[in-house]
Amino acid sequence: MAIAESGETTVTRRTAAAKKPIRLFRNLWSKIALTPMILTAVVVFMGGTIWTIVYSFTNSGLLPRLNWVGLDQYERLWSTAKWIVSIKNLAIYGVFSLTFTLVIGFVLAALLDRKIRFEDTFRTIFLYPFALSFIVTGLVWQWILNPEFGIQGIVRGWGWESFTFNPLNDPEIVMFGLLIAGLWQGTGLIMCIMLAGLRGIDEDIWKAARVDGIGVVKTYVQIIIPMMRPVFVTAVVLITSGIIKLYDLVVAQTAGGPGIASEVPAKYVMTTMFGGQNLGQGFAASTMMLLSVVIILIPWALLEFGGRKRG
Amino acid sequence: MARSVTTQRKAIYTIVAWGIGLLIFFPILWTILTSFKTEAVAIADPPVFLFFDWTLENYAVVQERSNYMRFLWNSVLLAGLSTLFGIIIAVPAAWSMAFVPSRRTKDILLWMLSTKMLPAVGVLYPIYLIFIKLGLLDSRAGLIIVLMLINLPIIVWMLYTYFREIPGEILEAARMDGASLRSEIIYVLTPMAIPGIASTLLLNFILAWNEAFWTLNLTAVNAAPLTAFIASYSSPEGLFFAKLSAASTMAIAPILILGWFSQKQLVRGLTFGAVK
Repeated sequence: MAIAESGETTVTRRTAAAKKPIRLFRNLWSKIALTPMILTAVVVFMGGTIWTIVYSFTNSGLLPRLNWVGLDQYERLWSTAKWIVSIKNLAIYGVFSLTFTLVIGFVLAALLDRKIRFEDTFRTIFLYPFALSFIVTGLVWQWILNPEFGIQGIVRGWGWESFTFNPLNDPEIVMFGLLIAGLWQGTGLIMCIMLAGLRGIDEDIWKAARVDGIGVVKTYVQIIIPMMRPVFVTAVVLITSGIIKLYDLVVAQTAGGPGIASEVPAKYVMTTMFGGQNLGQGFAASTMMLLSVVIILIPWALLEFGGRKRG
Repeated sequence: MARSVTTQRKAIYTIVAWGIGLLIFFPILWTILTSFKTEAVAIADPPVFLFFDWTLENYAVVQERSNYMRFLWNSVLLAGLSTLFGIIIAVPAAWSMAFVPSRRTKDILLWMLSTKMLPAVGVLYPIYLIFIKLGLLDSRAGLIIVLMLINLPIIVWMLYTYFREIPGEILEAARMDGASLRSEIIYVLTPMAIPGIASTLLLNFILAWNEAFWTLNLTAVNAAPLTAFIASYSSPEGLFFAKLSAASTMAIAPILILGWFSQKQLVRGLTFGAVK
C-alpha cells in the first residue's frame, strides 16, 4: 500500500514536470471546470446559511423583517421546553445511533468477510433498507411496533400475555423506537463500507497473526481496526450527517409524539417557522443547530483531514 | 480434519448470516404480503403469513384515490434530471481536482463535503423565499435544482475518488501520441470513467428518489413525488394497513427492482471513499 502510494506520487510529479509548458492553460481549464460547483456551493449554502443567521436576530413573524431584537429569540428558545426536549432527543439518538451502527456494521462485515455462500445476494438484501425512503421506513416500523398488530400483539398471541413492547406510546423509550428503525435503515450501508475496507486488508496480515498465535478477536481489535481508520472516518462522516438530518423518520413514524416526547430540532424548526409563524425563533433554532455542528465537527475534521494532508 | 472443521464453520457462518438477512428483509416482505390482504386479514390476530385470499383490491383503491402514475413520473423526472444535471456540473470539477490537483484541492473537497453536514433547515427558508419570488414553488424545475444542489457534494466526492484511480500514465501516453485535450477526454478518460460514473448515477438517483425533507416541504400537488404519495397515506385518522402497504409497495418497487438488477454498481457506488 505504502509502496504503491509513493510510486504514484513520483508518477504525478513526473507528469507535472512533463506538462509544464501547458501548465497555465491546463490550470485555467481546471479553474473554469471548478467554477460552477464552487459558485453554487457559495451562493446557496453559504448565502442561505448567513441569511438565516442574520434574520435570527430579528423578530420576524409571518414574514421576514429586519427588526432587530438582539438575542431575544435565543433567550426564548432556550426557555422553551419543547426545544430542550428536542436537543436531548437528538443527543440520545445520536450517541446510540453512532455506536450501534458502527459496532453492528463492523460485526456483520466481519461475518460476511468469512466468505459465505451467495454473498452478493446477501449484501443486496442488507442494502435494501437503505434504498428505501425514511418515509417508508417510518411507516413500516410504526406498524411493526404497533402494540396491537405488531411485535407485542404477535408475542401475546403466542400465549405470553404479559409481554410488553410498546416503545412508540411510551415517552420514556420512544426515541429507541425511532432508533431501531434508523438502525434497520442505515446499518447495511455501513456494513458494506466496512466490508470493502476489510477486503482491502492484506491476507498476509491474517497469516502472520495466525503464526504468532494471536486470536481472531484480538487480531480484529488490535491490528485490523487500527488499519481501517480511513474507513471508520468515512463511516462516521456518513452516520453523523444522517443524524443531523433526522426529520422525515420522525415525521413518518411518531409525528413527534406521544406529546412532544420524540421532537427533534429539525422538526422544531419546521413547526415554528411554518406552523407557529414565528420565523425569527425558527431561524434562531437552526442557527443553534448549525453552531453545534460547527463546534463538534470542525476541530475533528481539521484533525482528521488537515493532519493527513501534511503527512 | 482441519478442512472439515472449516467447512462446518463456514456452514454455521452462512446460516447465521442468512438468519440475519431474513430478519432484515422481513419488514419489506411483510409489507409486500400485507398489500395483497384485505383490511380485515391484515389486522387478523394471530397474523396470517401466506395462506389468505390474495387480492388486488388495495392497489385498485390506492390508484383510484391518488393518481399513482403522476407521482411515479414526478419521482422519475426529479431523481433522473437532478442526478443528470449534477453529473454534468460535477464531472469537470472532479476531473480537474483529480488530474490537475492544486494546493487547495483537498480544502475545496473538504469544504464541499462540509456543506453536506450543515442542517438543511438552515437554508430552507431562503430557498423557500427565492422559490416564491421566482414562482418555483411546487414546480418540477425548482425541485430538480434543489435536489441537484444538495447531492452535488456527494457526486463530486464520488467522481473524484473514481477519477483518481485512473492512472496518470495513460493520459501522458495519449498526450505523447499527440492527442488533444478534447480527444483525451473523449477517447481516453470517458471510457475509463464510465463504471465510476454509472455507480455515481445510480446511488444519487436513489438518494434523490428518497429525499423527503425538501420534496415534502416545497411541493403540494403538481411536483409531488412518491415520498409525498406515501406520506399522504399515513393519516392519523385511520390506519388502513393494507392500503398503506399497497401504497408503500408501489413506491418502493421501482427502487427494489432497480437495485436488484444493478447490484454490482450499487455496491460499488456505496463503498466510495472506503476503497483506496
